[in-house]
Amino acid sequence: MTDSKKPGASQAGAEPMVRREFIKRSGVALATTAGAGIATAGAPRRAHAAGRTEITFASAKFFGKETIAQVVDAFNQSQGKIHVTYVELPPPSSSTEVHQSLVQQLARRNGNPDVFTQDIVWIAEFAAAGWALALDDVVDQAARKAYFPGIVEACTWDGKLTALPWFLDSGMLYYRTDLLGDAKPPETWEQLVETSQKLTKDGKARFGFLWQGKQAEVLVCDLVSFITSNNGKILAADGKTVEVAEPAVVEAVQLMHDTINKYKISPQDVLSWDEEPSRRPFTAGQAVFLRNWSYVWSIAQDKSESSVAGKVGVAPLPHFPGGKSAACLGGYQYGVNAATKNRDAAVEFVTWMSSPATQLRFATQLGLAPTRPAVFDEPSLLKAQPFMGTLKPVFVGATPRPVTPKYSQVTLVLQSEVSKALVSGDVKSAMASAKSKIEAIVKA
Amino acid sequence: MAEALAPRLAGGRERWRVGSWLTPLLLLIPACATMLGVSVYPILNGLWLSFRDTSLISQTDKFVGAANYVKLLADGQYWNAWIHTVVFTGASTLFETILGLGMALVLNEWFEARGAVRAAMLVPWAIPTVVTSQMFGWLFDGQNGLVNHILVGSGLISHNIGWYSSPDYALLTIIIADVWKTTPFMALLLLAGLQTIPRSLAEACYIDGASAWQYFWHVRLPLLMPTLLIAALLRALDAFRIFDLVYVLTGGGPADSTETLSTLTYKTLFSALQFGYGSALATAMFVTEALIALAFALFLIPRMRRTSA
Amino acid sequence: MSASRSLILPPEPRPTARQLLRRWGLRLAAFLIAAWSLGPFLWQVSTAFQPDALLMASPPHILPWPGTLEHFYNVFAVKHFQYYILNSAIVALATTAFCLVFGLLAAYALARFDVRGRFGVLGVILSISMFPQIAIVAPLYLFMSSVGLLDTYTVLVIVYLALGLPLVVWVLFGYLQSIPRDLDEAAKIDGAGPIRILVQIILPMALPGVVTTGLLAFIAAWNEFMFALSFTSGIAHQTIPVGIANFQNLYYVPWGDVAAASTVVTVPLVLLVLGFQRRIIDGLTQGAVRE
Repeated sequence: MTDSKKPGASQAGAEPMVRREFIKRSGVALATTAGAGIATAGAPRRAHAAGRTEITFASAKFFGKETIAQVVDAFNQSQGKIHVTYVELPPPSSSTEVHQSLVQQLARRNGNPDVFTQDIVWIAEFAAAGWALALDDVVDQAARKAYFPGIVEACTWDGKLTALPWFLDSGMLYYRTDLLGDAKPPETWEQLVETSQKLTKDGKARFGFLWQGKQAEVLVCDLVSFITSNNGKILAADGKTVEVAEPAVVEAVQLMHDTINKYKISPQDVLSWDEEPSRRPFTAGQAVFLRNWSYVWSIAQDKSESSVAGKVGVAPLPHFPGGKSAACLGGYQYGVNAATKNRDAAVEFVTWMSSPATQLRFATQLGLAPTRPAVFDEPSLLKAQPFMGTLKPVFVGATPRPVTPKYSQVTLVLQSEVSKALVSGDVKSAMASAKSKIEAIVKA
Repeated sequence: MAEALAPRLAGGRERWRVGSWLTPLLLLIPACATMLGVSVYPILNGLWLSFRDTSLISQTDKFVGAANYVKLLADGQYWNAWIHTVVFTGASTLFETILGLGMALVLNEWFEARGAVRAAMLVPWAIPTVVTSQMFGWLFDGQNGLVNHILVGSGLISHNIGWYSSPDYALLTIIIADVWKTTPFMALLLLAGLQTIPRSLAEACYIDGASAWQYFWHVRLPLLMPTLLIAALLRALDAFRIFDLVYVLTGGGPADSTETLSTLTYKTLFSALQFGYGSALATAMFVTEALIALAFALFLIPRMRRTSA
Repeated sequence: MSASRSLILPPEPRPTARQLLRRWGLRLAAFLIAAWSLGPFLWQVSTAFQPDALLMASPPHILPWPGTLEHFYNVFAVKHFQYYILNSAIVALATTAFCLVFGLLAAYALARFDVRGRFGVLGVILSISMFPQIAIVAPLYLFMSSVGLLDTYTVLVIVYLALGLPLVVWVLFGYLQSIPRDLDEAAKIDGAGPIRILVQIILPMALPGVVTTGLLAFIAAWNEFMFALSFTSGIAHQTIPVGIANFQNLYYVPWGDVAAASTVVTVPLVLLVLGFQRRIIDGLTQGAVRE
């Protein structure tokens, strides 16, 4: 996923469409070893065949050894009826801008863009607004079984499938195999605290457990993994009952606070860290455990970047006694604009994009984890991204964040109130305040 | 020849007089049309939206009168952000003025390599803001940052300071970052102001036996005052809209301790897409800025008159 | 410069101890200014030459040794940063040119004609620049999208022009005020029209002020991020700050590459400032006294 920083990896991604020369590669031919033969020279871009149905596809910018534009080109090459124009939105690091731009375009209901990709937390919002076409007749119940159950749940709003799975990501526990020795990675938070305290006391590492507490979306992701592992919830299944002040949630948030102040296994700095600031000390060998997304794996194993290459393992996040491991589900999924004037072409395109072959291509070339369990077993995937095999069990248990069309407001309240709880230690009153604010939002 | 010229000249003068209102208008049109064309619609649109409850998602769009403003006055988060913004604006403007004045006084004197130091002074201002904010994230990182390393190494502090992770330090750190980035602009304006002070004044003072301090306090500073106030006004108006540094470094946290009006407005308008309430926030910001400008003007105009008299 | 020397050197010789103290005090102060201003930048330049693994070394690794050019290779050969630089140059140069022409015309009108309520006009211009920029992004996005200007150079130039003009008009107005009126009165009697007076008489005299304001407008357009991010998509029109933001892949920030890119774009600006610094300071000198 991060190979792009390597000079050796050819990446034509940043080149403009018009100037770019690209290689003819069919979607099926990618069973070849990743990275091999991605030459920058090749046949010049073929002119659009006349009479094709023109549709547009808008997506946040992702890249690896290939770009989204190259995959879209492969679709254009693979058939002669449809021509897809790719509109590149800002990268997911600017997801607020991506969201805003999509909302403004979709709200016009003029069918542009025909197909788009959406962060998993926007699905309910877009569906409730009536902007996303229901795809129930495109993907029948049997076909849905080919995806992870958590992702299908996240793509479903009000009983209708309004998004088609693209890739997923989830929070997971990175640990140092050399420090843990023969011990298995911790299964409960208690074990994690114990191991951390022991190893830091012995001077094996500066920090026990690193996570992300910056007042930003990532805090809600960390929060969900903590509270769900204690059988807590933010919203009940009805989407209206707010459960953030329940004892299970309070206990979980208290644990987050305690990692810093009571057990002292996490530095206070986690309160200002998001993904990268917390990843860097871990790959520099300063910490025993790290909660982070799947992108860390390839960096951790890369000797030019990491001083712990070959000494890192990955496991599901720990849980409370009586709970089970839960990871926050992330990733982007496809949607079809409800106002599209080219429904059939759009459906054909997303179906191709979500197909096993294309998912395999995204996995090997862009490092985006498939949403179809079967793709994980492809030998070419394990060859190109060996760690993905170990991620499969983590993804099975991934949990969606609260599913509500008002998510974008709910998350702001959670970020603010949980940050207050973590700073002050007065978890109960912060969560009570969060409860009343979220109730005002979801009931409005 | 002269006779032939006379009517033309008169005609030329006549045109000038007739055109005395038309010509400046024509000259002003390109600039004003651009500024108004780009700004007026969004500003009026914002004003209009601030009296409505508009959501693209729930498809609501109705007139709600002053409800957004009533909500705003009772909103603890708004006042929290308001206070941070005012503190940030006051502190950063004050520090930038003092530091900028110090730099300008030094750079106004002659010493070896003055040209190079003047150029070096401007470097922080030339670095793209997207980079500055991330750079300060690294430098002030609580565990591995260079700043803590230097401070602990030199014995000034005994423990690492959590610059961004402690509500007591986070706003201060952002002020430091902003002071670093923007002092050059102040120093440049003040240096320019210092250079307009006639040199004969300095010589006259020294001949009268005045000390350097007396010369600074009684001659230079009063003469510099108009420049200083205008520079501070421009700076304060800009500081009031602080956004990038906060958003990248702390996201407004921890515990809302660095939330400013711009980050709050951004979250409300862009993330939550509450156009009505977000527009009310933006309008309230605009009004506060106008009040700051007015206060400066009331302070400034009498002083400028006195100096010019 | 030599004239200001008389400022420090008192008219008659004083005890050398005091002179020495003063001289060394100035040198120390100058060193502190340079260290404060350059310190973080030099650290970044050093980072740009260090391999990634050293970035997190503890204690921090300050000198770029062993060095690498890997980050510069990535920036140009892999990420094609030169396209972003080209886009930024086109947008910033066009913005600067229009800013100067429009700003000069407006400042000329305000400074040389009996415009009633000219301070009112200047006040309105200032207040336009007070409206929070984050609040005008969204409505402008919709507007620009409806007129089909999204993802063009034009949209960025128009927006930066509007953002830059208030400062340009203010500074140029002050500058023009300081130019003696005798010359254009004389030209007026000779029958010269207003535009000819502006081009042939005012402009040559106002050149330092024009250069200064031009540089201010240029840097602002060169470094702007939010509008560029929202209004452009794809490398064909995105500018440098967006290009740097694009380095981030999902969550991963290739900090060495970012440092290399920002070194590459800052050094020319510094050289530009170094080259123009006399004019910048002169320009502001004239402008600053007037308002």
